Amino acid sequence: MAEIDEVNRKITLKLVYYGPAQSGKTTNLMRLHDLLAPDLKGEVMTLETQNDRTLFFDLLPLGFRTPSGWLVKLKLFTVPGQVAHDATRKAVLSRADGVVFVADSQRAQSVNNAEAFQNLEENVQRVGLDFASVPLVVQFNKRDLPEAQILSEEEVRARWAQAPWPLVFSSALIGEGVKETFARLLEQVYPVLDKFCALQESHGVDRQSFVAAVTGG
Amino acid sequence: MELDPHTFDREFDLAELLAGMPLARMAQILATLLDGEFRLVTVGGQLMLGRAEPFAQPGRAAIRHDLETLGHLESASAGEARLSAAAGMVELVLQLSARYRMAADLHTETVQEDYAALQHQLAALKESEARYKTLSEELEERVRQQVETLETAQRQLYQAEKLASIGQLAAGVAHEINNPIGFIRSNLSTAQQYVRNLERLAALMKAGDMAQFQAVWNEADMAFVTEDFAALLGESVAGADRVAKIVADLKGFSNVDQTEEEIVNLNDNLRFACNVVAGQIKDKAELVLELGGLPRILCLPGHLNQVFLNLLLNAVQSLPDQGRIKVCSDVLNNEIRIRISDNGCGIPEGNLDRIFDPFFTTHEVGSGTGLGLTVCRDIVQAHGGRIGVESKAGAGTTFTVYLPIG
Ligand SMILES: Nc1nc2c(ncn2[C@@H]2O[C@H](COP(=O)(O)OP(=O)(O)O)[C@@H](O)[C@H]2O)c(=O)[nH]1
Ligand SMILES: [Mg+2]
Repeated sequence: MAEIDEVNRKITLKLVYYGPAQSGKTTNLMRLHDLLAPDLKGEVMTLETQNDRTLFFDLLPLGFRTPSGWLVKLKLFTVPGQVAHDATRKAVLSRADGVVFVADSQRAQSVNNAEAFQNLEENVQRVGLDFASVPLVVQFNKRDLPEAQILSEEEVRARWAQAPWPLVFSSALIGEGVKETFARLLEQVYPVLDKFCALQESHGVDRQSFVAAVTGG
Repeated sequence: MELDPHTFDREFDLAELLAGMPLARMAQILATLLDGEFRLVTVGGQLMLGRAEPFAQPGRAAIRHDLETLGHLESASAGEARLSAAAGMVELVLQLSARYRMAADLHTETVQEDYAALQHQLAALKESEARYKTLSEELEERVRQQVETLETAQRQLYQAEKLASIGQLAAGVAHEINNPIGFIRSNLSTAQQYVRNLERLAALMKAGDMAQFQAVWNEADMAFVTEDFAALLGESVAGADRVAKIVADLKGFSNVDQTEEEIVNLNDNLRFACNVVAGQIKDKAELVLELGGLPRILCLPGHLNQVFLNLLLNAVQSLPDQGRIKVCSDVLNNEIRIRISDNGCGIPEGNLDRIFDPFFTTHEVGSGTGLGLTVCRDIVQAHGGRIGVESKAGAGTTFTVYLPIG
C-alpha cells in the first residue's frame, strides 16, 4: 500500500517483479533502467550471491514531480525465485502496490511457472493483500528463444484465457515488451492510487500523464 | 500510512544512514579533502557532522539518496569541484549504508518470519504429540483388554485340557476296572454252576441214595470242583481288591483343583500314574519303573499327578507297535529328578524349542488342545522346578522334571 508522507510531500509506491528463478526478473529491471526516462531515475541496487543469483532483492527507484509539487516515488523490487527463499519473497511482497509475474516461456519451465504462480497467490494472501484486486500483469519472457523450446503464443493465450490479468510477451534480454509490461502495470495501479490519494484531484495527475511521467513518454 | 519503523523497504533519512558509521574518521577525511572546516547538515538545517557554527557564505553541494536530497555539504574553503566530489563520496557511503541496512532488516524480518513459522510448527507438533499420547493410552487400554480376553480364553483352554486328560483318565480307569470285573463275573457264573451241583448232591444225600450220589459226584468231577471253587473265590477276591485299589487311586485325581499342599513321596504318585496308563499300554508296550529313594516333599499332588500322567500319555502316543516306556526317579544336586523316556518316534529338532508353547501340537488335530505340555511346564514352574526335553527323531524322547527338595 502506497505510503503518503505529508511532511516531505512524498508518495511512495512499491512494485514487485515476481516469478520462478532465472525467468528474467533482474533483466527486466536492468532494461527498464536503460529504457525509461522519468524525471528521476536511480541506479539498480542488487543484492546478489555468487552465481549472479538474486539473494535478497534488486531495487530500482524511479520518480517524478507532480504539478502540485509532490514527489511520486516508485520502488521496483525483484524477489529471489529460489524455492528456499520464501520468507524473503514474502517480506519483499509485503505492502506491494502492484506485481509483475515474470514467467519463463520455455516448455521445460512450465511446472516452475505454475509453482511460482501458486506461491505468489499464497504469499499475497499471507501478507494480507487481496489476490483478486491486487494489480497484476503476467509476462511471458524469453520469446527470442527457438520456437521448439518455448510455448507458442496461442498455447499461452489458451492456457491463460480464463485469467483476468493482462498478458504480455517479452524478451527482456533484447528489451522487447519490457516497457509495455511496466506500462500495463502502471495503468492498473493508477486507479487504486487515485482512490487512495486523489492523484487527479489534488495533484493534477491523470492516468495517461501518470504512465507517461513514470516511463518518460 | 504509518509504517513499522523496521520494515526493510522504509525511507531512510540522513541521520539513520549515518548511524553506526565511523563519524570521527569521516570528519577527518572530509576536512582534509575540503581544505578545512565543513558542515554536513540535513535539508532541515540540522547539523550531522562538522563545525557547529554556520558559515557566513559557504559553498554548498546537495547530498542525494534514492532520488531525494537528504542534506547538504557546506564548506568555506573548498572549490566547487572539490566540494561536489566530496559530496559524491558521501553519497556513495550512504548508498552502501542503505544497502547494508536493507539487507540486515530484511534478514531480521525473514528470521522473525521463520521463527514464527517454527513456533507454529512447534505448536502443531505439540498438538500431534498430545494426540499421539491419547492414542497410545487408548492403545494401552485396548492391549490390556486383549490380554484379559486372551487370559480368559487360555484359562478356558486349560480347563478344557484338564477335562480332556480326565476323560483319558476315565477311559483308562474303565479299561482297568473292566478286566477284573470281567473275570469276577465269569468266576461267579461258574460258581453258580458249582452251587447247583452241590444242591443236587445234598438232595441225594438226604434221600440216602448213596449209589446215585456216588454216580453224580463222579459225573460232576466234584474233586476238581472243590479245588477250583476255592481258586475261583481267591481270584475274585484279588480282582475285587484290584478294583478297590484303582478306586482308591482315583482319589488322587479327584482333587486336581485342590490347592492345599501335602507332604508326599513322589514315587507313589509315579506308580499311581503308571497304574492309570498301564491299562492303555498293556499289549503295546513294556512299562519299566526304576524308582530310587526320594525324600518327601511338600507339593500339590493332584497337580503333579497330572504332569506325570500327561508325560506318560505323550510317551504312549509316540510309541510304535511295540515299545518301551521307562520311568526313573532319583536325587541329583539337591533336586528330585524324574525322567520319563520312550523309544518312540521322537520330536524333530525344529520343534523342540516350541513344544512347551501354548497350542503347539504335533498330534493330530482333535487329540488334544496342544496345551498339555504348557500346563506341565506351568505346574512344574509353580513348584519352583523346571522341565526339559531331549529327543532324537526316530529314537525316542526323554522328558526330565526337576523339583527342588525342601
Ligand atoms: N534468451 C533469453 N534469456 C533471458 C531473457 N531474460 C533473461 N534471460 C537470461 O536468463 C537468465 C536469468 O535472468 P535473470 O534476470 O537473472 O533472472 P531472475 O532470476 O528472474 O532475476 C540470465 O542468464 C539472463 O540473461 C530473455 O528474454 N531471453
Ligand atoms: Mg534475479
